[in-house]
Amino acid sequence: MAAALPAAHGGDLTRPGQHTWVHAIVRWVFIATSLAFLAALLLAPLATVFAMAFQRGPYAYLESFADPDTAAAIRLTLTTAAVAVPINTVFGLAAAWAIAKFEFRGKSVLITLIDLPLAISPVISGMVFVLLFGLHGWFGAWLRDHDLSIVFALPGIMLATMFVTFPYVARELIPLMQQLGNDEEEAAITLGADGWMTFFRVTLPKIRWGLVYGVVLCNARAMGEFGAVSVVSGHIRGLTNTMPLHIEILYNEYNFVGAFAVASLLTLLAGLTLVIKTAIERTGYRRRR
Amino acid sequence: MSITLDQVTKHYGGVPVVNDVSLDIGDGEFFVLLGPSGSGKSTLLRAIAGLTGVDHGRIALHGRDVTHVAARKRGVGLVFQNYALFRHMTVAENIEFALRVRHVRARERSRRRQELLRLVALEGLDQRLPAQLSGGQQQRVAVARALAHKPEVLLLDEPFGALDAKIREELRRTIRQVQRELGITTVLVTHDQEEAFAMADRIGIMNHGRLLEMGAPHDLYSRPATRFVATFLGAANLLLARRTPDGIQMGVSTVAAAERSPDLGEHEVVAVVRPEEVELAASRDALKSGYLARGVVDEVMFSGALESLRVRLANGAQAPLLAHANGAAGASLQVTRTQPEQRGFEVRPGQEVAIGVRRVHVLPTPLSSFTACAVSAALAEALSRQPLLAELAARMHTRIAPRVEPHLGVPDAPSATDEPSVGATAIAGGSDCSRRAEWLLRRGAREVLVLPEQPAVPQRVLIHWMSDASRSATLAVSASVLRHVAAEAVYVSIFPEERAGEQRHGLRELLDARSEAQLAHGLEMRTELRFGDVASELARRLAEAPAQMLIVGLSDLTGFAASFRVLLETGQWPVLIVYRASP
Repeated sequence: MAAALPAAHGGDLTRPGQHTWVHAIVRWVFIATSLAFLAALLLAPLATVFAMAFQRGPYAYLESFADPDTAAAIRLTLTTAAVAVPINTVFGLAAAWAIAKFEFRGKSVLITLIDLPLAISPVISGMVFVLLFGLHGWFGAWLRDHDLSIVFALPGIMLATMFVTFPYVARELIPLMQQLGNDEEEAAITLGADGWMTFFRVTLPKIRWGLVYGVVLCNARAMGEFGAVSVVSGHIRGLTNTMPLHIEILYNEYNFVGAFAVASLLTLLAGLTLVIKTAIERTGYRRRR
Repeated sequence: MSITLDQVTKHYGGVPVVNDVSLDIGDGEFFVLLGPSGSGKSTLLRAIAGLTGVDHGRIALHGRDVTHVAARKRGVGLVFQNYALFRHMTVAENIEFALRVRHVRARERSRRRQELLRLVALEGLDQRLPAQLSGGQQQRVAVARALAHKPEVLLLDEPFGALDAKIREELRRTIRQVQRELGITTVLVTHDQEEAFAMADRIGIMNHGRLLEMGAPHDLYSRPATRFVATFLGAANLLLARRTPDGIQMGVSTVAAAERSPDLGEHEVVAVVRPEEVELAASRDALKSGYLARGVVDEVMFSGALESLRVRLANGAQAPLLAHANGAAGASLQVTRTQPEQRGFEVRPGQEVAIGVRRVHVLPTPLSSFTACAVSAALAEALSRQPLLAELAARMHTRIAPRVEPHLGVPDAPSATDEPSVGATAIAGGSDCSRRAEWLLRRGAREVLVLPEQPAVPQRVLIHWMSDASRSATLAVSASVLRHVAAEAVYVSIFPEERAGEQRHGLRELLDARSEAQLAHGLEMRTELRFGDVASELARRLAEAPAQMLIVGLSDLTGFAASFRVLLETGQWPVLIVYRASP
């Protein structure tokens, strides 16, 4: 076959994979374009964040974290992520399992519903909770009678964050589990394993990379969510301000160093998530060797 | 018995995928389930393993009823087509999985692992991951893993499907050897007949969810009972012939049948001639075997040890050829010849030869072909294109011959020809069809199929006979029909209202009928007992659901038109009447 090719092309020896000068130029152009694009869209803004944060020196940078409101915002964001991510991981696993392994009525409806938070604007996702639990909402009166607050308080922020982030784990796992099929699980069952054992010993190891990736995406979105949280938070300083909301307030008050300092921390947290993900992948890889 | 299946049935969306399969597999037996894809063989295997539930029937392993036992407690080993190894575990972890589940101690686990790896000839590969092994090695690991917990039964689901020919043969030999060494009862599912022949103690052949036939490979090959098995297991030429007291008459000559027939009457039969049983010679006198016809060589193909040819029967040959291996109807006979045969008589395409037949096997099927009968040639032609009839004929690899009877249904009018009816005679339904059916039955037709305008391919076939004289013929015809349609068979026994007290007697009759169907015809059927007038009870039962068919046997035509009018002229169901006059 390979011998027949040059003849078929009239003796022209230029084939993909061969080093000719045309090929070298094409390769160089492609690499340069993607790097330039990456630099303009990703690196420049990130660099700006750190440049602005450090414009008055490291002392001013560190001092901005001493502000109790800023500290409260960081704590709130971490707490929210710590609650929303595990819950959505469990939900995502359950949904993906149900969709990939069973045939049932309303399966396509369920898949569509899972996608819903990605499709609708985050502002509307926030509004929904205000309409449900706000003072004039459906359950507003009942909540007030029982002295419970959801909107403009921690529960509201968590609900809104969970609502916005719940598709990430499920979306990542459904195609993966469908593609990997059921055979290994069925083999485990015929070998005598029960449901739990099959899940922890066979399914979970099989899907772990997809799961890690889904959790990382979910976490990044949970910490960075602005729109939905903004609607339900009420912007009470030191109480219901998450990091993204706090950045906006500081920026509007012309406190650029403070705003960009918090922004840089958020960026670092995102970076940390990626590092954790890579680290887990590395250990997994080494173990497989 | 190691594995006992009793009337196992599984439906998917109303269609029976596994249809009333009953089967006994002995201790240490290597049983192969063979069938085309979609025949239900894999579903049946999964049902034995417990991965698929059944809708009806019973499954027992070593006498223990496991129909409702969870898969993980059945103690079977299952090997999948695509290995299904745990990809994140090493070979050692894979093999020890079943032992770890059972909390076996580490030392014992590793001893058992060494033993299994030696058995499948993979010593020293303990620490590899599945991805680092070849396909053949992976499947060996899968076999070892399935045997780790010493299961009573080993199930193999197309285990060689994804492997290339040489590895396949090697692995086949390993598995057979392992099976013999351990004496473990094994069921293998495959669509490859060569594989089935190579490995099986016994083969069961499935099609449309039914277990059609089972037996030792050699018996099935030389004496198939159904067209499907004849053409699926090896290549076969199917020919229509007449059974006469002297033997099997094919065209101008009569060939002695390979076995004797219990049925003495002269009638049309389906004959199987294997390609290797055909002899070619320059002239009729040079043939050593029985002469069939003259023919012209169409095609010669050299394929190593054997030469395969297609020989077109010359005009005037009166043995209609139905089909050969690939099911395509055609006028050419498939022939294979060994090297010595080729040297004895060389042929080229276009050459005229004399065709002889060394051995003929006659199928016991009572439905050899169809005749579409109507008052004019145009109507007969239209009837032969009727979808259900065409579908049945295509599935049975048989032909539909037209027959014109201008006086069809006119009392006392003679038949237009002297030729006897052949095969089952089909007529159009509608008004007066009961008189037309009676007319045909009184003039020698043995089976009459009444087709309404738009019948569906039946999903349920009701069986009933009016008298014991027609019982065994009705069962034989029913079995023949049901081998070709994926429908459930229900035998309906009907007692007159005033004898409702004799229920015990009725049940006895149901059981007798069931066991006769099973023993003599390999037909599994459900049974129902009803009370009332026969024709109206049957009509009521047929009206309950769509896509039903009725096969009814009788031996007396008195009052036929009157009692059958309601059955034949009111509904959209096909009715097949089996008539055998009482002796």
